[in-house]
Amino acid sequence: MAEVHVIGQIMGASGFSESSLFCKWGIHTGAAWKLLSGVREGQTQVDTPQIGDMAYWSHPIDLHFATKGLQGWPRLHFQVWSQDSFGRCQLAGYGFCHVPSSPGTHQLACPTWRPLGSWREQLARAFVGGGPQLLHGDTIYSGADRYRLHTAAGGTVHLEIGLLLRNFDRYGVEC
Amino acid sequence: MATASPSVFLLMVNGQVESAQFPEYDDLYCKYCFVYGQDWAPTAGLEEGISQITSKSQDVRQALVWNFPIDVTFKSTNPYGWPQIVLSVYGPDVFGNDVVRGYGAVHVPFSPGRHKRTIPMFVPESTSKLQKFTSWFMGRRPEYTDPKVVAQGEGREAITAPRKAVFSVHGLTSPRALALVHIKGT
Repeated sequence: MAEVHVIGQIMGASGFSESSLFCKWGIHTGAAWKLLSGVREGQTQVDTPQIGDMAYWSHPIDLHFATKGLQGWPRLHFQVWSQDSFGRCQLAGYGFCHVPSSPGTHQLACPTWRPLGSWREQLARAFVGGGPQLLHGDTIYSGADRYRLHTAAGGTVHLEIGLLLRNFDRYGVEC
Repeated sequence: MATASPSVFLLMVNGQVESAQFPEYDDLYCKYCFVYGQDWAPTAGLEEGISQITSKSQDVRQALVWNFPIDVTFKSTNPYGWPQIVLSVYGPDVFGNDVVRGYGAVHVPFSPGRHKRTIPMFVPESTSKLQKFTSWFMGRRPEYTDPKVVAQGEGREAITAPRKAVFSVHGLTSPRALALVHIKGT
């Protein structure tokens, strides 16, 4: 079986209009992939930038996959939320990016988007907070029903991911 | 070509904790330690250290320089649990107590060569305002009993952390592998 190590950090996020951000992340793979070690999803701490506008999480990611096929190459997906001083959480953006397929260290910048509702919901969000959220998280990383959505841009999530591949040449895959 | 037994490889890390930028604080010292998975073990060098106390330079740079050496070699059979260096910075507060000024962690680089890493530092903050005032007054800030928690992914959702500073670690990594041919990536 070929093995893939994804080792790195979710460095932080920039470009969001809200401060006090945290991120829920997860990784989605196809049926041929099996997670040998590591946690498949997690949540970062809430970071309030005091210097500059970038929220830093430095959240470690360490995953070890074994795979029988290339289909369903891992995708990292994110939900960035902001927390206000009362402890309420509001969605700031959804985003996903594929894990790179060449070995080495990669800097990834993942753009995010958030669903816009009707004009009433947008007005309510500006005053009271809240706003529409996705019911099913898999729309974040799949293209299937996206045409129904009307979204606005959020900020960018920054990652540094290192990739180690093992035994791929045994199966005739060059990388 | 495949061997049934696990292949051991070595990872040698040489470097220094170079300097820090903490605009609000002075007279700081740092501690470093390594966090690694179960398949890793240090074979040479020190995996923990405490630096000297440094003050900001009087010139326009306002630099806090430690130039604190890091020299450690790990051996492992599995890249899972790749070592992370965890840094904790402490300094005196207005009353003279030693309080934590920041925690940060970064993975040791994966590829051989010279690397420079700048690590953002954060400090945990209590969510209650009364607690914040009491801890400022008594000098007992929220602090991790074990700084290695900073290198873990689980349980972070409970932390609120305003980020305070920027830290730079200058490192040289050279993985010397007895069986590097089995693991691509460098």
